[in-house]
Amino acid sequence: MAAQDNHRKLPSGAMSRRDFLSRSGSAVAGGMVIALILPEDSSAGTSGADYDWNRHRWVYLIDTSKCIGCGSCVRACRAENSVPEKMYRTWVERYEIPMEGEAYVDSPDGSEHGFDPVANGLSVGKGFFVPKLCNHCRATPCIQVCPVGASFATRDGVVLVDPEHCIGCGYCVQACPFGSRFINPETHTADKCTLCYHRITKGMKTACVEICPVGARRVGDRENPDDPVIEILATRRVEVLQPELLTRPQCFYLGLDMEVR
Amino acid sequence: MNPESPLLHAKHVFRAAILLLAVLIAMVLGRSLFVPDTWGEFGPYRGAAVAEFRDKPVRHGGDDACGVCHEEEFAEHAAGVHAPVRCELCHGPVALHADLEEGEVLAEMPIHRSDELCELCHRRLEARPAAFPQIDVREHVVSNGGELTADACFDCHDPHSPI
Repeated sequence: MAAQDNHRKLPSGAMSRRDFLSRSGSAVAGGMVIALILPEDSSAGTSGADYDWNRHRWVYLIDTSKCIGCGSCVRACRAENSVPEKMYRTWVERYEIPMEGEAYVDSPDGSEHGFDPVANGLSVGKGFFVPKLCNHCRATPCIQVCPVGASFATRDGVVLVDPEHCIGCGYCVQACPFGSRFINPETHTADKCTLCYHRITKGMKTACVEICPVGARRVGDRENPDDPVIEILATRRVEVLQPELLTRPQCFYLGLDMEVR
Repeated sequence: MNPESPLLHAKHVFRAAILLLAVLIAMVLGRSLFVPDTWGEFGPYRGAAVAEFRDKPVRHGGDDACGVCHEEEFAEHAAGVHAPVRCELCHGPVALHADLEEGEVLAEMPIHRSDELCELCHRRLEARPAAFPQIDVREHVVSNGGELTADACFDCHDPHSPI
């Protein structure tokens, strides 16, 4: 009863410490529960859109025997995605392999301005162009090394970097074995091919695929049984770059050569 | 104070509880301040980023976008050997020229009338597929009796439908 008396001596309107503690304690605990429960999952992937990312799984196919090295894809990528000068989300490499001696490989300005003839006097045994871009690997090293969770893969198989969240540490740039990432000099965050996510989710092709005049680049959807690209993956002999790294690239090549890495 | 009050000896418990409370409040506050709202919506990343990528503006509209207004060129181009060559490959993205959603013209489309443009695809290179038509421009122009200028190609060829 003594404690009860003590309690009643508090000024009117004030709360006892015990009351305060018990009330605020439950309020905080309630807040914690709300804060720790993750928002409910949505299958749409985005707000109010008819695109369902669970019904797509994007892959990319490059036929090196068709590529003419015009660099249109590189220019289209830059224009479509406002890629800063001297930075490349995609580029084209030229391989000229002489009958004897070392292979000659170059990609002047990422092939943005095309190629000049090579004047090294060697007789070329075989020559070809290899377009490159992010392989959108299923087991990516770049996402694993991101310390803040800015790198992620969408459910439809596209590897993206959230520029709002990226701290620009560059770990992912070093982790990518394909050299597909760079630090954007304007935003100071990691930047890379988005597989034109703003286009493929609207039923369009990527800018590089759209612009390619010879059909060397194609984008496909594994969830679409009638997709011609998926049929090629199922019926032709395709390769990926650096398969020994087990990154499970989703960018497939026809007609690669052992010299290509 | 009544020395018999049980609260007297519980003071240190309250102090510890207040400290714990302060830590909890700091944690909740810190979380709400530093963790983005949509974090964890789909996985360990900011869920809103997905929609932000989707909402980026489309700049290449494809040949059909050009054909809406330029019917004559569209038909000529579609019937020629350059049909697989997209309008925007030579001209640049349609977004430079027109707002597709509003349907209004923003600026004149840049036109690149130069041999260099043609040479991007047709300059003879060892690495190009042999079946692809390619030339040495100098040799080609001279052997056909033309004058070697910066836009010599267009003296004979219409890029919309060459040959």
